[in-house]
Amino acid sequence: MEFKDYYKTLDVSRDATAEEIKKSFRRLARKYHPDVSKETDAESKMKEVNEAYAVLSDPEKRAAYDQLGQGGFQPGSDFQPPPGWDSGFEFSGRGFDGAQAADFSDFFAQLFGGKMGAGARHAHHRMRGEDHHAKIMLELEDSYHGATRSLTLRMPKLDNQGRTVLAEHTLNVRIPKGVHAGQVIRLAGQGGPGHAGAAAGDLFLEVHFNPHNRYRIENKDVYATLPIAPWEAALGASVKIPVPDGVVEVRVPENSQSGRKLRLKGRGIPAATPGDLYLVLEVVLPPAATEKAREFYQTMAQELAFNPRQNLGV
Amino acid sequence: MPHEIDAVLLEDALFSLDELAHSCHVSREWVIERVQWGLLLNDGATGTDPDIWLFDSRSFMRVKRIIMIERDFEGNPELAGLVADLIEEIDSLRARLKASGLDAD
Repeated sequence: MEFKDYYKTLDVSRDATAEEIKKSFRRLARKYHPDVSKETDAESKMKEVNEAYAVLSDPEKRAAYDQLGQGGFQPGSDFQPPPGWDSGFEFSGRGFDGAQAADFSDFFAQLFGGKMGAGARHAHHRMRGEDHHAKIMLELEDSYHGATRSLTLRMPKLDNQGRTVLAEHTLNVRIPKGVHAGQVIRLAGQGGPGHAGAAAGDLFLEVHFNPHNRYRIENKDVYATLPIAPWEAALGASVKIPVPDGVVEVRVPENSQSGRKLRLKGRGIPAATPGDLYLVLEVVLPPAATEKAREFYQTMAQELAFNPRQNLGV
Repeated sequence: MPHEIDAVLLEDALFSLDELAHSCHVSREWVIERVQWGLLLNDGATGTDPDIWLFDSRSFMRVKRIIMIERDFEGNPELAGLVADLIEEIDSLRARLKASGLDAD
C-alpha cells in the first residue's frame, strides 16, 4: 500500500490553515469537476482530491494523519500503519459518507476504515444498506440486442476485526435491450450491506455510450449518414443500408438534397417508447476521373443551366 | 465464477421521494425544499402531496449534481440549480452537435 501525501494532493503546505485548505479544495473541485473539466483524468483526480479533503478538513483526522507523517513516510513508498498509530483519536465520521468512501483508496480505508461511515454509526439499528453509484460504458449494439457485462467494483466491507476494508467484487450483469444514454440501471441488493439483518442497498449505474464510427446517438434517436449518387437524389431510388438491427431498404424521394433526413420510425433505440432512426442523406459525386465522366459533367453543365448560387445575387 | 444479475432499467418516473433521498444520502426534507423552490421536478409538483412525486433518471442525475455543487462549494441551492441547468443545457447541445456529425471537442 502506498503512503499518500494529502497535502501535496491539495497543493497546500503542512501548516496550511483550515481556510487555505478549503480554498485550495474548491479551486481543484472546480478544475476537476467531472461535468466540465477538459482534463482527461478529471474523475480519478477528483476522487483523490475528495479523499485528501475528507482527511485534512476534519481536525481529528488531520491531527492523526500528521502524527503518522512524522514517522518519515515518503509519498509512494510502501506503507503499513504502525500498531496503535491512531490511539488517542476518536473519529466521528464527519464530512463524507459510506458511498463516497467506496471511491477512496486502500490507504484511506486502512487508516480510517474501522472508525468511519454509516456502518459504524448505525451498527445497532436495523437499517437498509447504502445505495452505491457508478458509471457504465456501453456500445450502441448493446442497446439493440442487450448485453452481459462484467463489472469490477470496490466495496467497503467489514473484516473479521470489524474494520472497514475495500474489497474487490466482480459482478456479471445482464443488461436488457432498450438501454439508452442518460438512463440509470438499478441492480437490486448490490449496494452496501444492510445493518442488523436489514436488506442490502442497491447499485445504480449511470449509462454512457462509447462513440460509434457509423452511428450517432441523441437520447433514444439514432443518426446515420446515407451516401447516395446524384441520380438517386435527383430521380428517387430504393437503396439498401445496414442499420443497427439488420439491413433495410429505404425509398429516397426524388429531388432530395444533401442533409435531408429520412426518418425510420421506431428503428432507434428499442426503449419502452422506442426512438427513431434518422438517415441523413449525403450526395456523393462520382469523380471526373475518366474522359467519359468529364463528358457527362460537361453535358450537364450545358443542358441544365443550373446556378446553385442564384439566391446569393451573383 | 460470479453469478449473473439481471439489470433493471429505470424508465421514466421510478423513484419515490423516499427512494431518491435514501439513494442520494440526503433527507426527505432536503428534496422537498428543492422541489418547492422549483429546482427539481416541474412547477406543477409544488402544492401536491410529496408522497405521490416520482423522479426519473434525469432527476436522479440532477440531484447528484446539485448535492455535489452545494457540498464542494458551499453553494446556495439556487446557485447549484443554475449550474445544474447550464450543465444540462451544455450536455444536450453537445449531444445535438454529435448527432449532426460535428464533434463537440
